[in-house]
Amino acid sequence: MSVIILIRNLRSLLSGKTEPETWAYLRVGEENVPVHHWESLLGRARSADLRLFGEGISPIHAVLKRTDKGLWSVFDVFSKGGVWVNGVPVPEAGTELHHGDTVNLGGSCVRFLNISTEQRQRNEKKRTGAGVLVNPAVTLVELTLLQLFLLLQHSFSARQADRTSIVLAFASLIVLEWCVYEAMRLMNRMGFEIEILAFYLTTLGLSVAASAVPEDLYKQILLIVASVMLFLFSGWWMSNLKRTNAMRIPVGVLALGLLALNIATSDTINGAKSWLEFGGYSFQPSELVKAFYIYVGAATLDALYMKRNLYSFILYSAACVVALALIGDFGTALIFFITFLVISFMRSGSLATVLLAVTGALLAGFLAVSVRPYIARRFAVWGHVWDDVYGAGYQQTRSISAAASGGLIGKGAGAGWLRGIAASDTDMVFAYICEEQGLIIALCMVAAVILMAFFAIRCAGNGRSAYYAIAACATSALMLVQLALNVFGTLDLLPFTGVTFPFVSRGGSSLLGCWMLLAYLKATDNRRGASFAVNPVNRIMTWEQEHGIEVLSWGKTQPPKGKDRRP
Amino acid sequence: MKKISSRAISVFLIAALVITGMCYFVKEDYLHGRKWAMYFSMFNPEAEGELLDRNGVMLAAFNREARVYAKDWPTRVANYHVTGDYVGMTGTGLLTHFWGSASDYDFLHGIKNEKSGSLSLGIDAETNNYAYQLLSQYGKGTVMMMNYRTGEVICLVSSPSVDPAYPVEEPEDGSYVNRALTATYTPGSTFKLITSAAALENVPDLENMTFHCYGELDIAGVKITCMEAHGTQTFEQALANSCNCAFAKITYMNVGQRLMVQYVTDYGFLNGHTIDGIYTSAGNYPTEFVGDPELAWSGIGQSTDQVCPFSMLRYVAAIANGGLLAEPTFLKGGSGEKTTPLLNPATAVRLQELMRNNVTSHYEEEVDFSGLPFCAKTGTAETGAGTSHSWFTGFLQDEDHPYAFVAVIEEGGFGLWAAGLMVNDIFQHMLETGTA
Repeated sequence: MSVIILIRNLRSLLSGKTEPETWAYLRVGEENVPVHHWESLLGRARSADLRLFGEGISPIHAVLKRTDKGLWSVFDVFSKGGVWVNGVPVPEAGTELHHGDTVNLGGSCVRFLNISTEQRQRNEKKRTGAGVLVNPAVTLVELTLLQLFLLLQHSFSARQADRTSIVLAFASLIVLEWCVYEAMRLMNRMGFEIEILAFYLTTLGLSVAASAVPEDLYKQILLIVASVMLFLFSGWWMSNLKRTNAMRIPVGVLALGLLALNIATSDTINGAKSWLEFGGYSFQPSELVKAFYIYVGAATLDALYMKRNLYSFILYSAACVVALALIGDFGTALIFFITFLVISFMRSGSLATVLLAVTGALLAGFLAVSVRPYIARRFAVWGHVWDDVYGAGYQQTRSISAAASGGLIGKGAGAGWLRGIAASDTDMVFAYICEEQGLIIALCMVAAVILMAFFAIRCAGNGRSAYYAIAACATSALMLVQLALNVFGTLDLLPFTGVTFPFVSRGGSSLLGCWMLLAYLKATDNRRGASFAVNPVNRIMTWEQEHGIEVLSWGKTQPPKGKDRRP
Repeated sequence: MKKISSRAISVFLIAALVITGMCYFVKEDYLHGRKWAMYFSMFNPEAEGELLDRNGVMLAAFNREARVYAKDWPTRVANYHVTGDYVGMTGTGLLTHFWGSASDYDFLHGIKNEKSGSLSLGIDAETNNYAYQLLSQYGKGTVMMMNYRTGEVICLVSSPSVDPAYPVEEPEDGSYVNRALTATYTPGSTFKLITSAAALENVPDLENMTFHCYGELDIAGVKITCMEAHGTQTFEQALANSCNCAFAKITYMNVGQRLMVQYVTDYGFLNGHTIDGIYTSAGNYPTEFVGDPELAWSGIGQSTDQVCPFSMLRYVAAIANGGLLAEPTFLKGGSGEKTTPLLNPATAVRLQELMRNNVTSHYEEEVDFSGLPFCAKTGTAETGAGTSHSWFTGFLQDEDHPYAFVAVIEEGGFGLWAAGLMVNDIFQHMLETGTA
């Protein structure tokens, strides 16, 4: 069942050809070149989005950018020849572009043509809508069946007293996912694959919770609801690029504040003081800070080339990692660091920066290992866990044994023995699933996260803004690294760091953080009518009309000679 | 945007690493899954089985509903170090290590249950109870006995012990240690059995030599002393007298460190062993150059010598069986054909005679063995704290009762007067109750 769900999503997410949106045209000679993104790089280079070969055009010459409001601007990015619009040089802050404007790139001229309403509608109709190839409702029905099947397993193994809460929890989850689906359907957003994958992982997490701590299930289901709400809110928030960008600094401050509060107030638990206690709930700020960190780290294309503000981001990252090191959360610090590498590589494209950062981190890592004895212990036992089954290898050996005990098909929900071991439902959750649900489902669980990552990679070249692409890729990198540390730490292929498996490990803050991260994936999904976190073309046109941004009609063969529409 | 898209390759790289790692794990799981799963298979909640002693007395039993130990307190405590517990507090319990007959494994289903989940041990619970009762009166220590013809372990107790059915928060220090398998002690004079073997095989005309003991021996300013001056003795008499001066001289003058290290290594005293997959402790002997005085001390079982009681039992069992060790096992019926040649047969036979001579010429004068044909060696190992560990090791030269034994009582004083008396007492009890 898991495999079917996964394959359906795989087909849905990765099949079909990439169909770009078109937002404007550039008239180059006698040809209209479509502009597919909100942010496009103009230049001679192979990596430019619009390759122009005129005289005086640098490899990387200018960035063409569209705001949410439908206004276009052009920025000069270190070109040799300079950029003029209608004969006026472009300042650092860029120049607004209007339909028919002539853009002079170091001597070669192109004309900017905004797209007409009819044209846009025509283009939009040609694109395949999400959910057409593979009906998400059917996939969701399959997921529901899987959930009912799990529920059945639990009803066999659970104690009488816990049965009500288990049934209620699974029922709530099913209701929740169908509500979200219906809401999306009403909004005409049919790209539900990412959500299904997340719900699939959350289901496995719920199953773990039901067999590990059935008395806590009510709390768990409340957390799931809250997480999904947070996801919907974040997605809606992300759909407005300007708002998103404007809030980056406040969010960054908030994230550091949370970490600082953590350092100041927490006591040390299990060698790390990563928990905040309030009102009887313990809360791990670093899980939410992950999402904030990516929010801060991603950037739009113009910022990438023009402001060179990578250095402030490096400083910010260093602050976060140092804070985590002070907290003693070695695993999360490592996750942050690799996410940082991905973000900075995507922003700068510079391997040198990345290598420099790696060297610095290795030094810091050695320092951490030598200063913190419990980290050194974890490294010392790495690869030799079977030599110390009752000491340092306690958790890993039990995990490996339990994972193997499950075979391919598992012992059934609630029928494993690993649940008797501390932290088996969080840090060792992969082995937990292996034992109770079998290797196949555990591999599907990993595959689900990998699938999300492939989707993010695929969308990266097609997104409206570099911000979304970077955020989505950073998110998938973060989830993958977290997964790798969790799974391979459990199985002694990496040192045991005690991080959570995305969506599956029990723990409120982790779940909230993961669903919040999921919004970044939704924000980059601009297939037609796919994502609630991406404003559909129709709504953008309506909005433009309401706000008096007119676009003239012009045929494809004969664009009108533009008159200056500058107000 | 094209640039961003091409840089997304970094995420792809991470994903590829994750996929590689998962493939590696699946491969390893396929290859080693059985070993992994079986290691903790006693945790399998569906496992059903029981652990029985040689007479069918239940030592531990478990199924889906319950996990129980022996019914009576003495049996639970005396057999704790054999059975272990369901939680894995001791690393040497059979419950943890050896549950092959209760569970089985295949790659598709993982761990699963076998129908007949009952495992019969060679251990005699009644003997264990009696031995533990005696041992615990002496204090800390261990007794282990095995059939030197079949390898069956019939008795293993370690004191202090705990009641696994009612675990206490803070039991007496070292309660979870199986002293027979995972402790090492200074061997004292029992080590002369190893020095003897080296001397017998390497010192020409050893048996015709005479050794003069004046009660003390000066080696480069270091004094080695005996309890009394033994006068002039043959090699046989020197062993029976447990003469330190004679064996010190033999070690540093006749045998030498290179040969000593070779024999200690060959007889398996320096490395750990396994019994049914349970690891036992390795011992110690000075292998670096130490000089004559220290070498002399090492030849009489002092210096930095450390011996695991299990290694000593293997050695005496091999002597008793003519040099061939029947590999020790907890399984009823023994290890069958699994044997290891440990000693030269001629040496083993001569050692048998020497050990018999120890008993007939000395020990029998002080302890009433009631005619049991003991061949043995005592040890009184100085610990440096003014007390000594009491050792008694050897075997019965009796085809009806082919048992080798080792006993250590920590700070028990003279070998014969603590461990020796206790071992004799246990064997007499076995004969009386007909359990042997």
